[in-house]
Amino acid sequence: MPDIAALRKQAWDAFEQAGLPTTRQEEWKYTSLARIGSTLGEAWWTAADPASLDDADIEALAIPELDAWRVVFANGRLIRGATHLPDGLTLSPLSELLTGNAQQAAVALQWQDDAPLFNGTLAANSALAEDGLCLCLTDGVKLDKPVYMLHIAGNGGASHLRHGLWLGKNSEAHVIEHYAGVNEEPGLTHAVTLVHLGAGAHLYHDRLQDESPKHFHLGRLHATQGRDSMLSSHAVGLGASLSRLDLAVDLAAPGASCILNGLYMPTGRQHCDHHTQIDHSAPHCISREHYRGVLDGRAHGVFNGKVVVHQGASGTDSAQSNANLLLSDKAEVDAKPELVIHHDDVKAAHGCTVGQLDDKQLFYLKTRGMSDEEARQMLTFAFADSVLTGMRVPAVRRFIEKRAFSKLPLGADAEAMLG
Amino acid sequence: MLKIENLHASVDGKKILKGIDLTIKPGEVHAIMGPNGSGKSTLSNVIAGRDGYEVTAGSISFHGKDLLAMQPEERAWAGVFLAFQYPVEIPGVNNVYLLKAGVNARRRHLGLEELDAMEFMQLVREKARLVELDQAFLSRGVNEGFSGGEKKRNEIFQMAVLEPSLAILDETDSGLDIDALRVVAGGVNKLRSPERSIIMVTHYQRLLDYIEPDVVHVLADGKILKSGDRTLALELEKRGYDWVREEAAHA
Ligand SMILES: Nc1ncnc2c1ncn2[C@@H]1O[C@H](COP(=O)(O)OP(=O)(O)O)[C@@H](O)[C@H]1O
Ligand SMILES: [Mg+2]
Repeated sequence: MPDIAALRKQAWDAFEQAGLPTTRQEEWKYTSLARIGSTLGEAWWTAADPASLDDADIEALAIPELDAWRVVFANGRLIRGATHLPDGLTLSPLSELLTGNAQQAAVALQWQDDAPLFNGTLAANSALAEDGLCLCLTDGVKLDKPVYMLHIAGNGGASHLRHGLWLGKNSEAHVIEHYAGVNEEPGLTHAVTLVHLGAGAHLYHDRLQDESPKHFHLGRLHATQGRDSMLSSHAVGLGASLSRLDLAVDLAAPGASCILNGLYMPTGRQHCDHHTQIDHSAPHCISREHYRGVLDGRAHGVFNGKVVVHQGASGTDSAQSNANLLLSDKAEVDAKPELVIHHDDVKAAHGCTVGQLDDKQLFYLKTRGMSDEEARQMLTFAFADSVLTGMRVPAVRRFIEKRAFSKLPLGADAEAMLG
Repeated sequence: MLKIENLHASVDGKKILKGIDLTIKPGEVHAIMGPNGSGKSTLSNVIAGRDGYEVTAGSISFHGKDLLAMQPEERAWAGVFLAFQYPVEIPGVNNVYLLKAGVNARRRHLGLEELDAMEFMQLVREKARLVELDQAFLSRGVNEGFSGGEKKRNEIFQMAVLEPSLAILDETDSGLDIDALRVVAGGVNKLRSPERSIIMVTHYQRLLDYIEPDVVHVLADGKILKSGDRTLALELEKRGYDWVREEAAHA
């Protein structure tokens, strides 16, 4: 039996030794965590008080008209579980595993033989995570509705969450991670999700970060994909004062494929950083990545998309694009596609653009009678929405569109535009 | 209804229109012909209000109002429509949504009640039939993935929905095969009315076989060098533009 307390201590020591990443590190060049420390002080590490939320509070934040198994976390603790689960699906709270099933808890925290996961903030998460959701899906089970994880951050403090999604062979699931906030107190959400896809498994994963504007958000998703498995990920960053998402996918066995789509829309003084890495570790894997950013005010966006084609990864097929729309001349984006190829026989394309709205398109819309503002909104919306068209459940896409649109100057008209 | 006087316009300091005079009465169809680069699209764009063209002299009045003082959308509300020579693709903006926004913005402006979704769809279907536009195109993004001919047809369809009092068709005929040309011209003819004026910019006189103009103008080097009736177009077809230039130089 693993000794959880000892492992936690080990993780904490590893974190203390590594320290927080600094802007001197290439991976953190544009995102300084100093602001989190100076704003939160000790609260960085201190678990937030359990929040008391009633059903009405939850409904007000939840995605409406979504038929799903809903699991609710408040300030990093599970407060509502899901019932009526089908055979083959288990949803175990990490908090229970930590006291009741050390073996599984250790797997959820991935202590074993996985040194890289001890690095930096991830080690801190391993040491501090108190709760999370461990989803296990038996071989061949296909869920007919999504698992919806709603995270509500309130009254300050830190929420360190660790989720695990284990999909057995040829199983299929759709998981939605939604991060929302209820008040203006600065706090931190630090959420790590580890994903294992068995051979032939399909995971649709939507991640919406829509926390309140003073909050800090550090997110991470690590996926390891088995043979012929498929991951379809949509990551949307709308909220928080400073947010960083690290998304790493290892196409570890032949025939695995992933689609990574993302949208970030920082406004005001928001800072929003997406770092993605796709490892083509095995032959004949396919990756598609499309990220778009819409930046307004004095916002700062960062996109770094790394694709590594490892030796022996014959028949790799990878395409990546990143496009950014600057709505204000004070907004800024640091965008960098990074292609590292250690093998010949590969098909890889990537591109990155930063621009403004297209004058020709604006003029066209106006000659048809759209006002200048309306035309701008419409084009901005169309630009952003193009990365969401592959989303699986219309209720989720609709909700994200509305939330995204509400950040634009004419947001109130969103409903009319969405028709 | 439209009166252009001594219009001069430049792009990036380069003089393109060098004194255009043009008067169009309600219900008239005017053809503007001229060699490539003579300024036909520039004139169309200046009337529609495109940014980037500096009007250095002259005026345009439309229904007695100063058109140059108005924003492009205000011109649209006042009844100006431009069918583009190169219609842009706008992925993600739905064709019907665009037209509904346009029609209702104009109706608001005119103090009319907005059309509801049902009324609007009825209007749209009827107009699509007019230009034989497949209903499937309605729900697509504006010009998204349309062929050249489909784009031109879509422009005339939009014209039919928006019901302008002045329509400028900038080389709507180019890129159309003969069947498409017949359909598009048929649509335009159905839209002719005593209140609606049309400016047809074209290279080819063949369009004029289908849409009979009241006046034909030759635009070259930024000026209207000659105006005449339908027979002028036939002469241009036979003799080219140089004789018009020479005639103008000696006048
Ligand atoms: N946006 C622009 N920038 C620079 N030059 C332009 C622009 N638009 C038109 N021109 C120039 O103005 C002249 C007239 O062009 P245009 O009006 O398109 O002619 P036409 O439609 O008669 O072929 C051409 O020499 C063209 O190169
Ligand atoms: Mg032209």
